[in-house]
Amino acid sequence: MNHMSHTVVRTEGLVKKYRRYKKKEGIRGSIVSLWKRDYEEKIAVNQIDLSIEEGEFVGLIGHNGAGKTTLIKMLTGIIAPTEGTIDVLGYYPNDLKNEFKKQYAVVMGQKSQLFFELTVNDTLRLFKEIYEIPEREFQENKNYFVDLFGVKDLMDVQVRTLSLGERMKMELIVALLHNPRILFLDEPTIGLDAVASRQIRRFLKEINEQRGTTIILTSHYMEDIKALCKRTVVINHGIKIYDGATEELFEKYQRNKRVTVTFGNPAGDFVPKTYTAVLAEADSHKKIYEVSKQYAKELLSELMEHEPEDIVVEEEEIGVVVERIYQEGKP
Amino acid sequence: MRKRVKKNMRVLKELLYLRFHGLVVFRLDFFGPFFVDGSLFFIQLFAFEAVYSNVTTIGGWGRGEMILYIGTFSLLNAVNMTIYFFGVNGIPDKVKSGELDLYLTKPVSPLFRLTFEHMSPGSVPLILMSVCMIVYGAGHLNANSEIVRVQEEAVRQFSDSRLVGALPAERIAAYVFWVLIMEILYYEMEVLMRSVSLYLVSMARMEQIEVAGTDLCMKLPGIAFYGIYKVIFYMILPYGIMATLPVQSLIGEMNWRLGIFGVSIVLVFSVLTVVVWKRGLKHYNSASS
Repeated sequence: MNHMSHTVVRTEGLVKKYRRYKKKEGIRGSIVSLWKRDYEEKIAVNQIDLSIEEGEFVGLIGHNGAGKTTLIKMLTGIIAPTEGTIDVLGYYPNDLKNEFKKQYAVVMGQKSQLFFELTVNDTLRLFKEIYEIPEREFQENKNYFVDLFGVKDLMDVQVRTLSLGERMKMELIVALLHNPRILFLDEPTIGLDAVASRQIRRFLKEINEQRGTTIILTSHYMEDIKALCKRTVVINHGIKIYDGATEELFEKYQRNKRVTVTFGNPAGDFVPKTYTAVLAEADSHKKIYEVSKQYAKELLSELMEHEPEDIVVEEEEIGVVVERIYQEGKP
Repeated sequence: MRKRVKKNMRVLKELLYLRFHGLVVFRLDFFGPFFVDGSLFFIQLFAFEAVYSNVTTIGGWGRGEMILYIGTFSLLNAVNMTIYFFGVNGIPDKVKSGELDLYLTKPVSPLFRLTFEHMSPGSVPLILMSVCMIVYGAGHLNANSEIVRVQEEAVRQFSDSRLVGALPAERIAAYVFWVLIMEILYYEMEVLMRSVSLYLVSMARMEQIEVAGTDLCMKLPGIAFYGIYKVIFYMILPYGIMATLPVQSLIGEMNWRLGIFGVSIVLVFSVLTVVVWKRGLKHYNSASS
């Protein structure tokens, strides 16, 4: 049900600068700093132009301190930009207008909006009043999300007794209760195990597809980005270094394949002739090679000549790809 | 505007409901404030007893006026503790930790939510104790005080009981009015002090100024201050007028000049609080994730 009808986020030349205090080491430095302060300017976000259409699912990736969260904070109005123009749903976010705030939601993986001593149902009642949701719509939405997330039995237990994964589901329910047009997610899967992360990803996909909610997601986990976002924006040192299809991004930077070959008898010390093939790990019956994508087929043919018991071909480890994106995309 | 007030009332009801449920989970949280504030209340009384065992008047006020004064300050403080102290007091921590982010992204005034999110029903008995003290103080006013003179004069000249009762009722209404606006001033001072955290990383124990100011002014009425101290405690840190003006209105020492001054101070601090808070939010840089 993606509308792709109009632009919901637009920024031009967006800049956020911070001033941070610097002090020379030692007592002397501390005393001097009482009278003479040195500051340095840190540019957290630098000249970012961004345009997001309604219904898109956009991934925002970058190292720690790259500027992802700062960008999200400017888009939600939490902080004001230093320079540039910003328009979200027709509003200047830092005006903090209630009409604007009713149209988006934000979930921060490291900050909870739930009341830990209370139940989720209690918290939902407060948010019903804050967002002025009519009773019927409130009940319908609540039931929809409770079913979707499969958390019916957890609605009346104290939040503090929930697991991290369960709590994140509840955070999402609280955020989605008022049918926001845009959902900002800042590291929603941080600290979650593989099963919980997969569940959260499935729900987000459904919400984006079924409800047409525009989702802007920052994550360190490339699995999240690859599984959910058709479009990815890469930020490095505050500068946008890539903005395009996620598939193309990984196509461009995922250069190697990982080939694991298992033999019935001890493998012996043979060296493949295939160009770029490198032995990464080995034991008596198993060898793992890394090889450029274009030579993978040649390596497989060569290995088949040695009558292996099993061969597994995998994509290159995602962390290595990410490192390459950041390294080669350095401004 | 009306719609907004109605919405805020509904949010307030939910916050109160949530707070009550939160507090009953841990009984100490419920009763704790009563014991803490109650001990402060009694310390005030003991300090007062010690002072009045050595002097007969302070700034012309006798024992009855002083009981009324201490009761009034206790009432202001008890209302503060019951309704907004714990919420407002948490602002610097929320700024420091970046938790304020979540308040800014919700369609309700962040300050409204912060103010009423940590109400403390456990402090309600203190309000009742303060009211008892005020009533007791009113019954032991100095025979020379204006209110007693006026009452006696009224009884002497008119046998009509309606007329005798009319004047104190007027004064009581004025007293209630001054208590209400001084409670607003008390709130504004608390918000102002904590709004500093939006501009500076370290508040350098700004709250200590508040503690020292309220501590002193709980014991000494504003009429006891002269010179620079009067300027400080009437205009810069107006803790000196918070309980003084209500008491003065009740005992007939209020005049138009003083009334206009009191209202003006509240207005000035209202504007200052709104400006400092709103500009502070624009200044807010959030905490790094």
